[in-house]
Amino acid sequence: MSAKTPSPGRVLLEVKDLAQHFGGLKAVDQVNLSIHEGEIVSVIGPNGAGKTTFFNVLTGVYPGTRGEILFNGQELRGMAGHDIVAVGVARTFQNIRLFAHMTALENVMVGRHTRTVQFLLGPLLRTAAFKNEEKAVELMAKELLEFVGLKALGNELAKNLPYGAQRKLEIARALASEPKLLILDEPTAGMNPTESQDLVTLVRKVRERGVTVLLIEHQMRVVMDISDRVFVFDYGVKIAEGKPKEVVANARVIEAYLGKEGAS
Amino acid sequence: MKKILQWRWTPWVALALAALFPFIAGAIEANYLVRVGGVIGLFMLLGLGLNFTLGYAGLFDLGFIAFYAIGAYTTAIAMRAGVPAPFALVLAVLVTTAFRALLGLTILRLRGDYLAVVTMGFGEIARLTINNLDSLTNGPKGLQLAPWRPLSFLSSDPNVQYYLLILAAVAGGVIASNRLEDSRVGRAWIAIREDEIAARLSGIPVRHYKLLAFTLSAAFAGLAGGLFAQWEQFVTPESFVFWESILVVSIVVLGGMGSIAGVLVGALVLVGFPPLMQWKLSADWINYRYLFFGLILVLVTLFRPQGILPSSRREAELTS
Repeated sequence: MSAKTPSPGRVLLEVKDLAQHFGGLKAVDQVNLSIHEGEIVSVIGPNGAGKTTFFNVLTGVYPGTRGEILFNGQELRGMAGHDIVAVGVARTFQNIRLFAHMTALENVMVGRHTRTVQFLLGPLLRTAAFKNEEKAVELMAKELLEFVGLKALGNELAKNLPYGAQRKLEIARALASEPKLLILDEPTAGMNPTESQDLVTLVRKVRERGVTVLLIEHQMRVVMDISDRVFVFDYGVKIAEGKPKEVVANARVIEAYLGKEGAS
Repeated sequence: MKKILQWRWTPWVALALAALFPFIAGAIEANYLVRVGGVIGLFMLLGLGLNFTLGYAGLFDLGFIAFYAIGAYTTAIAMRAGVPAPFALVLAVLVTTAFRALLGLTILRLRGDYLAVVTMGFGEIARLTINNLDSLTNGPKGLQLAPWRPLSFLSSDPNVQYYLLILAAVAGGVIASNRLEDSRVGRAWIAIREDEIAARLSGIPVRHYKLLAFTLSAAFAGLAGGLFAQWEQFVTPESFVFWESILVVSIVVLGGMGSIAGVLVGALVLVGFPPLMQWKLSADWINYRYLFFGLILVLVTLFRPQGILPSSRREAELTS
């Protein structure tokens, strides 16, 4: 499939010597990698390998101990989480973090925050500019719900949605900020094969919108199916990278997953 | 019940009834109830104010009454210095929000219980300061104000005048709350209450929005405090004890966190019922009001933990 090997676009994200230490624990250390525009890239690795920590440093949850994160040439390290969203990086969470008592539609509308401006006076005076912006936000939120296949559930409270729908809603909320890079932390966790396949299709559709995707994934079938490239983490460092097939044949990767005996 | 609540004219009918109430009460010689109504209105304003901090942004504040006090004292001091009454009210709102913003800047990094304890401390510090700052506040002896009689064309009874003025303020507060809630700003607050990290990583500058909710709360408290001072023509530190902060928190929580209608009903029940009992049954009743208060708390917690009138989310048209 030609879609699987896109001509590598320009570098969108470049991570140089990134580290996040917690006291003596090097949760992420010496990570160097780059991601190109239009790619779907997976990060894999055993539990505790530092994948989620890496994502948390990228999105400003943790400050990082050392290194650079260049997004379109702009340094993200040291930026506040909400500013990182504003420059075009949005994410979902390993354990779903929706706004439970807001409707699905409102969840997506919240995601539009950085791309809208109406502040106190507009809402209080119900100005024309405010009404237009609200209409546009609602319209886009509905389109995104339709895009992820949740249109009919727009008025349901997020907490009442089925599990798979909650995962998709998180993606819709993230897309509402019009990210250039979408970071998905285990999007298929807890899903059965059909649901996972559904999600793979959705991720491909996201890429077709021109969004680059970086994801943590545990289901190898999904990884092999979806990824243009794979990074493998173990003990906080990147131990391998390459096309999915190359990576699973890599001795160090097998060792990381199965131990020394498994590798031999 | 739900239908009545969602009927679009319900707020207007309620407002009209509330506006007619003092004249009806006057006709049946129950002027006492107009006073009670005014006090309920003041607590509705306080509840609407705290609703921004507690109901929308989810920040626990156990010292809110301090800002009611700052509003009342600002008005008293300003009017004694010769500032006309309406301007004194404006000044009260400005000074109160300024104090609130300063407090917010210093303490909003704290969360949950820690924030509750610190705000509680601030409430006590404010009261003690007022009690001891004799040069400005005349200490426990309090400050006397010259009478201001607004709306004298409607009624000669100052209680009715202030009742109507407070009612107008509550109506304005409800409209403002409602409009902010149903906007980008309101969604940002509620998102923060629901999940702070997800809100930040959805692009909301969390600290700014917390400070905004926290500060806006004080505008309502300042206005309520100013009206209280002008109505009573007298302010003392005794009116602003810790118990009153708890009462406002209870109004918001019992009514339904983040629910405007809930705040109004909460104030009506918690503030209105004890004096009503006292009026109808006997003067002794006032001694039992804490018992009554506890009973309501227990009953609501048991049977309606989400509050008497919990907030409901707006439904959008999805079929277009």
